[in-house]
Amino acid sequence: MVSFASKALAVVTLGLLTVSALAQDKPTLTVYTYDGFAADWGPGPKLKEGFEAQCGCTLNWVAADSSIGTLRRVQLEGDTTEADLIVGLDQSIAGEARTTGLFAEHGLDLGGLALPETWSDAEFVPFDYSHFAFMYHSDTMAEPPRSFEDLIALPDDVKIAIQDPRSATPGLGLLLWVKAAYGDRAEEIWKGLKPHILTVTREWSESYSLFLEGEADMVLSYTTSPAYHIVEEDDDTIKAALFDEGHYPQIEVAGVLKSSPHQDLARQFLTYLTSAEAQAIIPTTNWMFPVVDLGDGLDPAFAGLPQPDKTLSLPEEDIVAHSADWIAEMLAAIQ
Amino acid sequence: MLRADDLRFAYPGQRQGYDFSFTAEPGEITAVSGSSGSGKSTLLDLLAGFARPQSGALTLDGASLLPLPPERRPVSLLLQSDNLFDHISAAENVALGLPSGTSRTERDAAVARALAEVGLEGVGPQRASTLSGGQKQRVALARTLLRSRPVLLLDEPFSALDDETRETVRALIARLTAQQGWHTVLVSHHIDDIAAVAQRHYRLVDGRLLPS
Amino acid sequence: MAQVPPTILPRRPWRLIMASVLALAIAGLIAAVLWSILAAAREGGGASRVDIFHLLRMTALQAGLTMVLSLVVGLALAWSLNRLRFWGRDLVVALFSSAIVTPGMVVAFGILTVFGRNGWINRASQALFGWAPESPAYGLGGILLAHVILDGAFAARVLLARLDAIAPDRLKVGQSLGLSATKRFVLIDWPAMRGTLPGLGAIIFLLAFTSFPIVLLLGGGPANQTLEVAIYSAVRLDFDLLGAVRLALTQMAVCALVIMVASAVNPIAAAPGRSNAARWADGGWARVAQALILCLGTIGFALPLVSVLIDGLGSGLARVLGQGAFWQAAATSLWVGGTSALVTLLLALAVATGRAAVAGRLPRILLGLPAYAYLAVPAVVLSLGFFLLVRALGLRPADAAAPVVILGNSLLSLPFALATLGPPLEAIVRRRGKLIRSLGLDGWQQFWQIEYPLLGRDIGLMLALAFCFSLGDLGVIALFGTQDFQTLPLMMFRALGAYRNNDAAAIAALLLVGTIVAFAALPWLFERIAHASRR
Repeated sequence: MVSFASKALAVVTLGLLTVSALAQDKPTLTVYTYDGFAADWGPGPKLKEGFEAQCGCTLNWVAADSSIGTLRRVQLEGDTTEADLIVGLDQSIAGEARTTGLFAEHGLDLGGLALPETWSDAEFVPFDYSHFAFMYHSDTMAEPPRSFEDLIALPDDVKIAIQDPRSATPGLGLLLWVKAAYGDRAEEIWKGLKPHILTVTREWSESYSLFLEGEADMVLSYTTSPAYHIVEEDDDTIKAALFDEGHYPQIEVAGVLKSSPHQDLARQFLTYLTSAEAQAIIPTTNWMFPVVDLGDGLDPAFAGLPQPDKTLSLPEEDIVAHSADWIAEMLAAIQ
Repeated sequence: MLRADDLRFAYPGQRQGYDFSFTAEPGEITAVSGSSGSGKSTLLDLLAGFARPQSGALTLDGASLLPLPPERRPVSLLLQSDNLFDHISAAENVALGLPSGTSRTERDAAVARALAEVGLEGVGPQRASTLSGGQKQRVALARTLLRSRPVLLLDEPFSALDDETRETVRALIARLTAQQGWHTVLVSHHIDDIAAVAQRHYRLVDGRLLPS
Repeated sequence: MAQVPPTILPRRPWRLIMASVLALAIAGLIAAVLWSILAAAREGGGASRVDIFHLLRMTALQAGLTMVLSLVVGLALAWSLNRLRFWGRDLVVALFSSAIVTPGMVVAFGILTVFGRNGWINRASQALFGWAPESPAYGLGGILLAHVILDGAFAARVLLARLDAIAPDRLKVGQSLGLSATKRFVLIDWPAMRGTLPGLGAIIFLLAFTSFPIVLLLGGGPANQTLEVAIYSAVRLDFDLLGAVRLALTQMAVCALVIMVASAVNPIAAAPGRSNAARWADGGWARVAQALILCLGTIGFALPLVSVLIDGLGSGLARVLGQGAFWQAAATSLWVGGTSALVTLLLALAVATGRAAVAGRLPRILLGLPAYAYLAVPAVVLSLGFFLLVRALGLRPADAAAPVVILGNSLLSLPFALATLGPPLEAIVRRRGKLIRSLGLDGWQQFWQIEYPLLGRDIGLMLALAFCFSLGDLGVIALFGTQDFQTLPLMMFRALGAYRNNDAAAIAALLLVGTIVAFAALPWLFERIAHASRR
């Protein structure tokens, strides 16, 4: 037993020494992200391969359980963080991330990006986006609602599954969507939605499963969700309902940390991330739209997706200042 | 008369099984002795209905007992220990011997009589867990009195008792057997106990009962 | 019940010291977790908007109802299972046991497959009568249904072990007396089970009190939320660490009250071991009631799990089995689960033997409290605290992930292990304490000659419980950076998060099969080993 333990220890120590010796030859770029991004089927492995082929460095993904988790981890670690970059925050929490003062300016020209709204952020670089929307089964729901008011007017036994804004990004997105579309009438909309809400789950995946199991008639997700079913399951019956009042987007962003010793390398990664080569990886691995025009390079399943006419947005300062009030308002309205 | 004829039983995988034949007369104590592991408990299990024989007959006054489940057999049981339920009183333990539906006054009177019969006036309200070993056996005997079943099976009932108590309980069983006309079957490996109270004695050897 | 005179108990200073050191260490760990969070809270948190009293009231109501219902259901099921013998009984018992250790979300979705709006029952009713009832699976009713299915099955398993251990002579006397079904329950069954009820009730209360994903999934909205959700929000969304610690302390205080009440009750001696008395079936109405309870129980408990198995045998299975990542995750799960189970066993034996060695009420409470208190610490607070502690120790979080998971899971399983091993250990000391003292056995002999052989089956049950539990919860390493550290449940959740519901269903089914096998095999195996060691 003892001899086994000491042998094992020796092997491990030796292994670590070898690894660290090798690692010293080239710089390592450490990127915090959420676990789905770094998963085997996510964009992480292919982006690592592509970037390492051109940078002469090692790219190391470190995945927390969620995107907000990556931000909290960096906040807790402060200046001692290993992270050079964070990939996977979105514009709804970008404001809060900015106020931490941990992020450096990226200095890139983002004029060539194709986004639903023009992007001129000094610290955060977008790398994919999609609009929040409610999914429905087109074979069982012939006439999907065309607005929140349409949805409210449906019979009470038409049920939707949504997510808690305190624990899930899309949940927060819906909250901001209603606020951006209706302003002071938001509370009224929530009260109207109340009888339709089957349940408010912790994660997006739980709501989506309820929808796939037929428990909920509609689910809060993304306009790009149908692409997954078309590409992977050859099923085109799941569709996103487009609302006349417009849709609120989720724009996923990346940012460089001031504390990083590899500022240039980190910027090089951001440039790579927004290049056509890297962007071509995103749609069928992260199931979001790319932020550059890929032309024919875009998977036809994405190219054929209906897009909202109008993109809604809210000033970042308002989100930072009021989101807690808005959450309280929503919870009270559907209680 | 309690009578067993070639009552055969073997545990699964056991090569040589048991083959029991004996008679026990009313008002008498019939003792069975044997070394430990010789099958004394199996014999009691067969008589009480906890084990079913593969063949043979078991009759009381000519009527077969074999079809009856344990709770319907005309049998009372007194084991070495664990005869009482610890968390209820002595009186409540005794009252378990009465048919359900007995009226309260009737019950109290019967319990008091039975306890008096075994020399335990006044211990009724005590919790069973506070009684001594000898007292517990006597409370169990009082319960047996109320049940008035013609067969009493005793499995090493004295072995947990001190000499003096042992003699008291022994005498009590002998007296009640004669007085109630019970067919009492005593299983024990204590020759003294057997010599002191038994009218009839079998030795259990190689799965068979030999008169001695 | 009457206090045991201390003169009966063998003197075991080492057991006391071990248990005390452990209790202190666990208390210290909890304190360190909270302290590290307070130290990290840079500024005073934003004013917490949480209506604590409303949340507390709702949570306590939900947890209290869950506890009472689960105990009643558990009693009824254990009673029925103890009496009835039928083909496949062992499998039903194993299925019941696996409910509590299967990840809660899996069971919850199983429940929806059966009881949901589009579930089997509603669809059958729709097809037969052209009408479907309102689904019972949402709202407070839904939360209770799910919790009772998870916890009632666990209660049934624990109580059944106590019933199966009733001394054969006791049953012979009872059967020979022709006790009615009611009297039999009152005189024989109830005394054997009631010592287990307080500890069991406390665990169930804590589980329901801190339940989070199930409450959100089935609760239907914020009306039924628990304090745990508010704490999660304070940590993750608001990053209000002071507020989070304040809420966590509130939750722990309420739970500690419950634990103290439960541990103040002295367990009643319940003899360990197995009973091999002849079958004694109840007659008449009782038998009908038992068959009915078991049928309903099987529909309520087994069907959701069966539905998980059926869902998993779909198209995803072959694809999942063909993935190298699956086998790697399975191997990780096996060693993490196995190590956690062993650590849990050692911790539980140390605490339980120490508690059994003291007679006083206060020392008993103090020795048990920290072990149960760990259950009351919100998961998100634990994950944050462990992250900060690991960093404070100068370790890289990714390197520390495995040990932290093992420690966290062991501590999480500890109350269950104590509930399983505690009562029989107490019973042994109380019943045979005099003998042990008079023979002058030392603690080591006492364990190997007396306790271990009698506990074999319980140890197996406990190991199965801890093993499967440890496959489940990975919340403690949420921030650790664990893309390379993947267990089966984590793989399942990641698949769910990436639209891969078929893969997730297949993994859930495989997990469930593994759990059932563990519950059927381990108690049997350990009974064999423990008995063999005596020959």
